[in-house]
Amino acid sequence: MNAFALGRRLGLNLLGEIVLVLVTLAVLFVLVYPTAWVIVASFKTPETMFAATQWRFTFQNYVSVMQAGFGRNILNSLVLCIGSVLIATVIAVNAAYAFSRKRFAFKRFLFGSVLFGQTFPWIILVTPIFILFARLGLLNNWLSMMFVYVSVSIPFSIYLLVGYLKAVPKSLDEAAIIDGATHFQIIWKIVFPIMLPGIVATATYAFLLCWSEYLFAVAILTQEEMKTMPLALYLYFGENVTEWGNVMAASALTTLPTLLMFLPLQTQMVSGLSAGSVKQ
Amino acid sequence: MASHSTASAVPAPAVSGRRKRPPSERGFLFTALAPPFFLLICFYVYPTVFNVENSLTDLSLFGLRDGGEWIGLENYVELMTSPDFRRVVWNTVVWLTVVGVSVRIVLGLALAFLLNSATLKRWRLSTISRILLIVPWATPPVVAIIVWRWLLDPRVGAVNAALISLGIIDQPIAFLATAGWVWPAVITIITWNTLPLVTLTFMASLQSLPHELIEAAEIDGASKWQVMRYVYIPHLKPAIVIMVLMSTFWTFNNFIYIWLTTGAGPGTYTNVMATEIYIKAFIEGRLGYSSAAGVVMATIMTIFGLIYLRVIAERELKEEGEA
Repeated sequence: MNAFALGRRLGLNLLGEIVLVLVTLAVLFVLVYPTAWVIVASFKTPETMFAATQWRFTFQNYVSVMQAGFGRNILNSLVLCIGSVLIATVIAVNAAYAFSRKRFAFKRFLFGSVLFGQTFPWIILVTPIFILFARLGLLNNWLSMMFVYVSVSIPFSIYLLVGYLKAVPKSLDEAAIIDGATHFQIIWKIVFPIMLPGIVATATYAFLLCWSEYLFAVAILTQEEMKTMPLALYLYFGENVTEWGNVMAASALTTLPTLLMFLPLQTQMVSGLSAGSVKQ
Repeated sequence: MASHSTASAVPAPAVSGRRKRPPSERGFLFTALAPPFFLLICFYVYPTVFNVENSLTDLSLFGLRDGGEWIGLENYVELMTSPDFRRVVWNTVVWLTVVGVSVRIVLGLALAFLLNSATLKRWRLSTISRILLIVPWATPPVVAIIVWRWLLDPRVGAVNAALISLGIIDQPIAFLATAGWVWPAVITIITWNTLPLVTLTFMASLQSLPHELIEAAEIDGASKWQVMRYVYIPHLKPAIVIMVLMSTFWTFNNFIYIWLTTGAGPGTYTNVMATEIYIKAFIEGRLGYSSAAGVVMATIMTIFGLIYLRVIAERELKEEGEA
């Protein structure tokens, strides 16, 4: 290749590269701007909130949203989500181990029904579950809410954990069986520490699902002091008057924990969620 | 099979076959599998059956204790003959699902190729892009909806302000309240919130493609288009299939995006099956009719579900064969 052609090629490539980089930056801007804006706006006074150039820093939005009782909603969400995720994870780890390591009758059918749960529209379940809970006096009850969140988390948790378990060598548990360990000892003492990253990713995903769940919460939790964060947040965004200061502070408080959990776990979660789809 | 587990406390001799089961096998399987299946039956199976039963009555939200009168298939007849319900099905299938999922898959593929390109690696933008790509995914849908409702607001929203200052429009557009704009606006919001997972999945798939394959194709004189058609697309196909199916469930079944963005409006213009079921049950109080709509929705979803199971089952079979 002579020098002229080389230069031409590089020049063209450079132009193409700059276009690509600009497109990337524009895409990244669109992806990040909305969330970044929520966090920035939550520290601006409501008067300067929508002004592009003006900027007055304040903590007042956070103070006022806490005075409006958002602390209670945070606590509700935390207790409900952490409780549900712990229960769902314990149940799912045991079941995933059985599906991954054991042969038993109707295994294919049973695993299929678990997967089927993932595809089921929740909206169809809301009405009958609401009727049943209303008749049994279980509305506005933490345990009934946990029953819902554990049940919705279990199908995909089992699916993801079975995927992670494939990467744990079977020779380890076979050695433990020879040493006389029970199945639960094998799961919680040997397999659990090895697949902890996968379990954490699964639990995080379940947590996020509960953290932002709206539909069941709005049907089942009708009392003010029982409401979770998404419900309270949407109430600030009222029909006629929107208290933007409260909305932004509450939105930022709802987003920050999930953002902080996602960043370190992204690789784990993607590899789990798309397990199988990547393999040929 | 059972004969192995009957011999109780006798320790298995070291030389016995590998298939020999310890006596606790059945107990373990029961303890491990009973809780999830108990929950699945209580949460999915029983309410579904109960829903079918309710769909044959005129049960009302305001007469829950009295129960409903048996009216046979009347609710279904009303559903099938209602032009409103036909519109709802059209909105759900065509706008929300077909358009929504296609946009997500196409943009996801484009973005995966972009973020995976050698150019970005040279400009040291790969890592930062990957981190920033997570942001919309980590934003809870309620927050995403609120911020986008502000962005698209005709009075204070940034999108209108930007379009006006660029001279593209003169008058602000109420994107979420204008028939011609509301579907594109809703799909924008859903796409923004769900694009990262799709993109990251495609990126993971792209990275597992051996580089030699592309080089070999290029040496053989394949054009860019041919490399795309015969190397990239076949490699990405499993990821595309899974993402199409999963996005279909998520979108078809989703309630919150439509309900909190437009409230099924303007009027009932963006009403979809999930919001229709909710409105009929909790606003109009017609639980029987709402249940019938739910049965129709479950039936449509079951078809997708069976396709999904087939795809997954085939993959699992393949892997077991390899192992």
